[in-house]
Amino acid sequence: MRGTFRFLLLTALGLIVFPFIIHPIGGYAGLATQVVIVSIASVGFNLLLGEAGMLSYGQAMFYGGGGYVTAILLLRAMPEHPNLWLAVLGGTVATAFIAGVIGTLVVRVYGIYFALLTLAFAQMIFFIVEQAKQWTNGDDGLQSIPDAPLWFGPQSVDLQATLPPFDLGPFGNLSEIHLWYPFAAVVLLLVLWFVRTLNASQFGEVLAAIRENEERSAFVGFIPARYRFAAFVVAGALTGLAGSLRAIYDGVVAVEGLGIDRSGSFVIYTVVGGVQTLLGPVVGTAVIMYLENVLSAHTGSWRLIEGVIFVLAIVFMPGGIVGTLRSAGARKGRATLRKSLDPRPGAP
Amino acid sequence: MLEAYAQALLNGLVLGLTYVAIAIGLTIVFGTLRLVNFAHGAFYAIGAYVGLVVAQQAGIVAGFVAAPIAVAIFAVLLDRVVLRYFYQRDATSQILLTFGIALVVQETLRVIFGGTAQRYPVPAELATAVVLGSFAYPAYRLVFAFGVIVLIIAVWLFLERTNYGLIVRAGIRDRVMVQLLGGNIRAASTVVFAFGAAIAGLVGAAASPIYSVEPTTGFDFLVPSFVVVVVGGLGSFWGAVLGGILIGELQSLTTVVFAPAANVVIYLCMALVLIFRPQGLLGESEVIKQ
Repeated sequence: MRGTFRFLLLTALGLIVFPFIIHPIGGYAGLATQVVIVSIASVGFNLLLGEAGMLSYGQAMFYGGGGYVTAILLLRAMPEHPNLWLAVLGGTVATAFIAGVIGTLVVRVYGIYFALLTLAFAQMIFFIVEQAKQWTNGDDGLQSIPDAPLWFGPQSVDLQATLPPFDLGPFGNLSEIHLWYPFAAVVLLLVLWFVRTLNASQFGEVLAAIRENEERSAFVGFIPARYRFAAFVVAGALTGLAGSLRAIYDGVVAVEGLGIDRSGSFVIYTVVGGVQTLLGPVVGTAVIMYLENVLSAHTGSWRLIEGVIFVLAIVFMPGGIVGTLRSAGARKGRATLRKSLDPRPGAP
Repeated sequence: MLEAYAQALLNGLVLGLTYVAIAIGLTIVFGTLRLVNFAHGAFYAIGAYVGLVVAQQAGIVAGFVAAPIAVAIFAVLLDRVVLRYFYQRDATSQILLTFGIALVVQETLRVIFGGTAQRYPVPAELATAVVLGSFAYPAYRLVFAFGVIVLIIAVWLFLERTNYGLIVRAGIRDRVMVQLLGGNIRAASTVVFAFGAAIAGLVGAAASPIYSVEPTTGFDFLVPSFVVVVVGGLGSFWGAVLGGILIGELQSLTTVVFAPAANVVIYLCMALVLIFRPQGLLGESEVIKQ
């Protein structure tokens, strides 16, 4: 329990300073919010890739899917009284359901077959959304999604409201932070806590055992397909949650959110940050999205740089940024750093 | 209406044969090296651009010669510098690495040639149409289709009649046994890898007068080619041929019936095959376990 508390405290501190430390180096508060929201999807993706060893090239179907369901709910079901809780819950539950249907079909295949089959289903969903123009507006996407307030009982909070002005010198001003950021950060923190608990539970242990040796796990009496299915659904729901939040934050959804590039971006974020580490996907998302934001202003070849970073990470840093830091910490005997970054509470 | 279908059938054959030529390289490389190569589409794209540049300087025939050679050299370098360290790794690492390489190649092409689609002209002698019954069909496409069929037969003869081919085929069945018997699977592998890449490069150059070239061309052809390989059976030569023509025809005929579905029908086809016959149409069930 102490480990969990310390992990949450340190992560919360990191999230508090994050929007301010990127301010002097070309970032801005809105970028921090986007990073935090997209990170939720990356954390979900890493549950698949890192824990279960399932490389999905179709996570965009859940990201975009959650976004579209949320947008349609807000535009059609509650245009008068938009409610963020209900819209996000709807998007997340819908994606969990889609993941459940697709999951029954994809968990039986492995490796390249799994990657291609998830890609195939993502392409089918992309096509369906693009064709269902009455609901989705086709290629144009959905605009002017109502700005849904957060209801706490009778009290509503407008997430566009900013914090009180307070000058922080080179780190900007407190008033640049919309309430969206603390809200999204709390959601991310809860997701990290959930995934950390999941990884440390028997479920997580069995999942890791299946990843390492499926046949042996089956002999011991576990049914691998059930665990793989559960991981797929949880990852789908988390990715859908991220897509739902992003749709409300942006106020628009576009078909690109369902595309191959979007699916690939979760792969890149997670691998660069560190597969099989809890914070790796968050760090990877932050680093890549930050670099994209800063560098694409100066160069037309940002995506080349991104590709090179990705390849270098695979070849020279298989543990990603967090994994490499952790093993460097271990080598120097800096047990503190390692412990705080370890996904499993109480791990040596 | 009938003409539209006949034309679509021919277009499907041309497209399908293009997929076959890419898929053969994919499937042989997987069979022998157990390497899942997401960068194979990049060979096609590089071949297309090399062909484009050389053809502009020295004529289209020179382009067709330069493209496979350049791509083969690139492939051997790639293999020796990085890929060989990943032969023994799991499929996931291989997919990630080759996906990354494909991204780098695509973006490098974008930096050099820009993002817009380019197309080089059909050779003057072939820029005519052949009248087939009641409709005319571009002569270049027919010559292209014929050329790819010759290429497929040549590859098949190489696999059937040469010692390299013997090692390759035996390696697909039982890699360890070939090595135990003294077959030099390493040397054969490098040759096979360069060979598969060269085919993709040559077809990239040859198909560019038909389909325009842009930096994303590599992925555009890679994904359907993987679908072809999976539908036909990973590691199976005739599976790739059958799958390629099937997927090409399916895509082309769907364009006539309901155009927006053309890009999605192949995924539906693959999903059905993977669910009901996971080893692919002509695949041997032993290969899939790897």
